Amino acid sequence: MSAVDGITAADIAAAQTRVPRAFFLTPRERAGRIVLWTIFIGLTAWCLYDFGFSPQRILAGLGKLGAIIAAMFPPSFDPELITEATLKIGETVAMAFLGTLVGALFAFPLSFLGAKNIIRLEFFRLGVRRGFDVIRAFETLVLALIFVRAFGLGPLAGILAIAVSDAGTMAKLFSEAIENTDNKPVEGVRAAGAARIKTIRYAVLPQVLPVILSNLLYQFESNTRSATILGIVGAGGIGFMLNERMRGYFWEDVTMIAILLVATVYAIDALSAWLRMKIIGRTKS
Amino acid sequence: MLELRSLTRRFGDVTAVDAVSLTIAPGEMVGIIGRSGAGKSTLLRLINRLLDPSEGQVSFGGQDITALAGRPLLEWRGRCAMIFQQFNLVERLDVLTNVLIGRLYERNFMSSMAKHFTAAERTLAIQALDRLDLVPQALQRAATLSGGQQQRVAIARALVQDPRILLADEPIASLDPANATRVMDALRDINTNDGITVLVNLHTLDTARTYCGRIIAMRDGRVHFDGPPADLTSARLRDIYGTDNLEADIDESVTSTAIPARAA
Repeated sequence: MSAVDGITAADIAAAQTRVPRAFFLTPRERAGRIVLWTIFIGLTAWCLYDFGFSPQRILAGLGKLGAIIAAMFPPSFDPELITEATLKIGETVAMAFLGTLVGALFAFPLSFLGAKNIIRLEFFRLGVRRGFDVIRAFETLVLALIFVRAFGLGPLAGILAIAVSDAGTMAKLFSEAIENTDNKPVEGVRAAGAARIKTIRYAVLPQVLPVILSNLLYQFESNTRSATILGIVGAGGIGFMLNERMRGYFWEDVTMIAILLVATVYAIDALSAWLRMKIIGRTKS
Repeated sequence: MLELRSLTRRFGDVTAVDAVSLTIAPGEMVGIIGRSGAGKSTLLRLINRLLDPSEGQVSFGGQDITALAGRPLLEWRGRCAMIFQQFNLVERLDVLTNVLIGRLYERNFMSSMAKHFTAAERTLAIQALDRLDLVPQALQRAATLSGGQQQRVAIARALVQDPRILLADEPIASLDPANATRVMDALRDINTNDGITVLVNLHTLDTARTYCGRIIAMRDGRVHFDGPPADLTSARLRDIYGTDNLEADIDESVTSTAIPARAA
């Protein structure tokens, strides 16, 4: 027998009078839910209608996709292609690495200026935060298009595009990591008579370093993928080659490049997992 | 009847619980004492099966608990409620939902995912909260409650499980004396009025003496004492806590959380 079987209708009535909100939504909550669901369903339906989605279009597209996938196999094992692609992927990874590094160098000091528990001057901190927003508003690809015009075709434009957009993203992420630190160690270090900067160095920094490192490694992985796209607009790396092969319908070459890219991402992922273990160590939570 | 037979649990090279054999009768209130790292928490986790033993067996009413898996294991955890030193509530959920978590083990999947609890279940939860004087806080987030209140929410969650056994792992170690007394009184009330067996790990000797009819002392994973509080002499305590390099005997008032009774 379950414990709920012992509950009588009278018990329920008594509990409902005592704590009605444990049983029923207030009319306001109910109205709120209905309004939210209506808006959500309405918006979804309107988007589908506006973009003219139809099952036929999806089916037709799937058919063509099938043809492309069929053309992709078997992949090309042309040694010349593999050498060229490997070199270009190397260039892509180097762009991602330098871009992430330069971005982090700017983001690190800026992030402290944007953290609530470090900067007490609200208007200054919010100004810094809005600055991050402005940088982040420009997607890496948009920045790359601008920098290609300014610095010419090649990896330099790509590196700068990654560095600038990453500085904005990482500054925001690091700021939030700093704000999420535990105040107890800070209190402990302050109580020992350490000045403000020393408190940050000894109580805040050790808490955020693992988070920063984690983010940095993830950004590097993610930038390797974005650097692939940057090549398409002429900012260096494998993207240019990939685009060229697709335009020429050399799908078997595309497959080989894709295989090499997957291997690269795997390698970076394994490397960053290993680095994370080495530097952060096994920690709880 | 809860029976442990040469229960052993190793973590790497460390033997946290070392061949412990005990028999605990229904309705007993047992205090488990011993220094930090003596294996008290591990013992409770082995009984609830949050941990699996390396060797040995737990049985309850003739049923082999260590062999349970799947649905019967979840049912056993329902019968064998547990509360923790740090309360282990879901702080982002309201108090009522935290208590209703105690019903999850026998509810169906879909309604649990949707958080649809029946009126009878909600009533049961409110009755449990009422026993612990927490009805006014029912709809607050658990995080907004004080430590003592949170521990009482945890007890309410345990109560709606309709358990046969209540395991309490250092339930008062993070509480002030007044709240510690309320929590211990609540455990005693559950033990005497509902006939639920209570196994409680304690740091404070005088609490164990006051509330528990039987005390089990552990040291290095083994049972070093098992008997009524009166038999727990200072020589025995020295043996349990290993105070070889302490000059004086253990002064129980140092660790006491009791509020001295006012002289009549």
